[in-house]
Amino acid sequence: MNPTGQSPPPVLDVVSLGLRFGAVAALTDVSFSVAEGELFAVIGPNGAGKTSLFNLLCRVYDPTAGRIVLNGLDMIDLRPHQLAGAGVARTFQNLGLFRPLSVLDNVLVGREHLMRCGTVRSGLSLPSARREEKANHFAALEALEFVGLSDVAGRPVGLLPYGVQKRVELARALVMEPRLLLLDEPVAGMSRSERMEIAELVRTIHGRRGLTIVLVEHDMGTVMSLAQRVLALDFGRTIAVGTPAEIQANDDVIRAYLGQAHEASA
Amino acid sequence: MSRRQRRALAVTVLVIAAVALPFGVNAYWRATFVFILIAALGALGLDVLTGRTGQISLGHAFFLGAGAYAGGYLGGNLHLNAVVWIPAAGVAAGILGALVGPTALRLRGLYLAIVTIGLVFIGQHIFVNVTAISGGPGGRALPAPSFGPVNFATGYSIGGLTISHDELYYLLALLLLALGMLYVRNLERSHLGRAMAAVRERELAAAVLGVHVARTKVTAFVISSAMAGVAGAMYASYLGFVVPTQWDLLLSIEYVVMIVVGGMASLWGPLLGAVFVIGFPALLQDVSGSLPFLSNGLGGGVISVSDASAVIYGGLLIVFLLIEPRGVVGLVTRLRTLATRRRAAAP
Amino acid sequence: MRTFAQLLFSGLALGAIYALIALGFTVIYRASRVINFAQGQLLALGAFTTSWLVSSGKLPFWAAFVIGALGTAAVALVFQSGVLRFALGRPDFTIVMLTLGLATVLNSAIPTAFGDFPRTNGDPWGASAAHIYGVALPWVKIWTIVAALVVLVGFFAFNRYSKYGLAMRGAALDPEAALAVGIPLRRVYATAWVLAGVVACVGGVFLAGYPNTLDPTVSNVAFLAFPAIILGGIDSTTGAVLGGFVIGVVEELTAGYQPQYASWLGHNFYLVAPYVVMIAVLLVRPYGLFGTRPAERL
Repeated sequence: MNPTGQSPPPVLDVVSLGLRFGAVAALTDVSFSVAEGELFAVIGPNGAGKTSLFNLLCRVYDPTAGRIVLNGLDMIDLRPHQLAGAGVARTFQNLGLFRPLSVLDNVLVGREHLMRCGTVRSGLSLPSARREEKANHFAALEALEFVGLSDVAGRPVGLLPYGVQKRVELARALVMEPRLLLLDEPVAGMSRSERMEIAELVRTIHGRRGLTIVLVEHDMGTVMSLAQRVLALDFGRTIAVGTPAEIQANDDVIRAYLGQAHEASA
Repeated sequence: MSRRQRRALAVTVLVIAAVALPFGVNAYWRATFVFILIAALGALGLDVLTGRTGQISLGHAFFLGAGAYAGGYLGGNLHLNAVVWIPAAGVAAGILGALVGPTALRLRGLYLAIVTIGLVFIGQHIFVNVTAISGGPGGRALPAPSFGPVNFATGYSIGGLTISHDELYYLLALLLLALGMLYVRNLERSHLGRAMAAVRERELAAAVLGVHVARTKVTAFVISSAMAGVAGAMYASYLGFVVPTQWDLLLSIEYVVMIVVGGMASLWGPLLGAVFVIGFPALLQDVSGSLPFLSNGLGGGVISVSDASAVIYGGLLIVFLLIEPRGVVGLVTRLRTLATRRRAAAP
Repeated sequence: MRTFAQLLFSGLALGAIYALIALGFTVIYRASRVINFAQGQLLALGAFTTSWLVSSGKLPFWAAFVIGALGTAAVALVFQSGVLRFALGRPDFTIVMLTLGLATVLNSAIPTAFGDFPRTNGDPWGASAAHIYGVALPWVKIWTIVAALVVLVGFFAFNRYSKYGLAMRGAALDPEAALAVGIPLRRVYATAWVLAGVVACVGGVFLAGYPNTLDPTVSNVAFLAFPAIILGGIDSTTGAVLGGFVIGVVEELTAGYQPQYASWLGHNFYLVAPYVVMIAVLLVRPYGLFGTRPAERL
């Protein structure tokens, strides 16, 4: 609460969001907001519309109804390549890493939108360019240390195990200095222990950096242990919004997930 | 000796060898080395665009020609000094690259290849018709550079040593290539180099991460065509005379062969590729007397040197693409890894 | 000065050849997403083989033609199964350069084997022409249009009604699914290249008919056909064929009228006019007029 007694504006405000592909309604009238520093999750069974929602947030699609407001600005005006500049970082489900490049170089690419030196200063290796490089290297190495990957900084990322690659992606997102972090099914395709490691890392990132995080995830256990608030979707509609405890007790949510195995950690 | 000292020694030896090289060989090979160095600069530029940034371009011949004609006009018609027309050729070609670059923003892969092929045809058409600059189908002459008392046309004598026309060109080409390689090496290690690699690998992901894809691609075009422009001007000046039909698709393909065979996105690849693409036909020509199936223009033989070379490097292009896409540099790396592994395995 | 009717007729004849060349490109592209940059050289190979068989082999034209087509198809097949097969799934650049490599090799091999002097294509019509309403229509051009139509209709029927035609369409849409339903991809690709070789031979032989002669530069014509396929859209056979006819007519009309009305565009502007048109179209529609944007996974 600020001195006037009002809560600060939400980082993300989704209002009556709708997405149609022809006759198919992927999303209908979805509304929620995410406060600053919150760890928010979107869950739902397959086909519920999680991916569509995520793609709308990442500006892959334009909504057919409603709007998304980021820090007071309508996101309709943002193209995907402007996300970084707007303070939004995202991870990819099938890894957006550059396979032949080293771990460090991959993370460094995340600093691109903060770099100012052009071809002349870089090509001539002028002091200003070198200083900028040094600062960026420092930021990248710091991020790698944060995710525990300092010792593989020089290795080509394509050869590393999937769990490690996921962590490189997270480091790269961090180094972009985002205000909003969008995670696309961060534990998809992982073993139980890998899932717990990544969940722990996300928790640490959230705790230490105070970032606003929105994650879309299928795995109930991970979501319940991480999120502060959860949005449950089914058939493109909101079925419940609330704390993990509230969501788990919700009849509609249980019905939607009937027959799906829960993780014991929930 | 520390690693750094060993490095410095290697570089010094290399520099001395490179500088001394032309003085120790006959005129034929001297000329060949000049062509190799000039082509290497052009190939270095193409590598920035295709090898590092992943943009297919078969239009390199156009930029080489543009540089040649810009240099020729400024030096031959306006009689400006080489210290002006050589860089200006690069600038002119670079500007053209900036104009062509944006097409790569809309087009991918095959379509970009076809448009760049079109660029070569349109370029040849323009070159033939702008007779004031190109001399029309008959061609035009280009001046030899002269920097104060050092006149490339006549050679230069200092003390008792005479540096001939060829040797002067060689040294200038060597200098330009060295500067080019230094520039590219700095670029490689900078954020721009990473941005280029990101655009090459996964353009969409790069964009979302904040890489300015449009600016990166256009920059790559500008750097690539500027280098081609300088190389084209030097090439034309050394040849002495150029005609519009020589800036053809085959020339563009030769440059692509250079970077593929040499090794893309590597610092030495372009030079190695140029050594092969220029040096091999030169070698064939040199020994064509003793190889009966080669006809050396004097009658006899089954196949001409130029045709034999084309068949061979077309074939090698195919072989390298299938087996070792990272070119000779890739081969060397593979052998080195093998050797390191053997050494590690040996008791 | 040739009349409009004559220019139009020549344009249609030229367009028929471009349509054939475009068909050669699209057959391969639709089956395997490869643009065969060596199509022009296959054209030359077919034409030279036919011509040589007529002049040195003393074969009647039609026999030479058939053997020439088979020979070209054989070379195409060898390249596909000996080289391209091993490059499946490689990036665009690799595929482009592989076919350009073939083009480079054939470009030198053909004049070496056959000699680079100009010669006749061996057809029996020479310069003879039919006269209709005072317009002279060279017989070879009439036959060009006929042959092109035969090939096009034949190919259309093959595509629509034959087992292999269906298989090719399936392979183009989804190679994995095609494999899953038992379509023999290797044979489909091979068939596409064989067809392209045959089509190239037809195009090459007729291209070198009156008033042209046959020399190695005939292979450059294929590059003039690119605007045709781009205009029509690479993955649309009808589009490519239509594009071929359009470009042919554009070229002849430009050649006929440009020197008089727009001479500032330079000598022989008709040679680059198709490219200028193509580039203009691509800048507005990056996948051609009728082409479709390939889906990109993020």
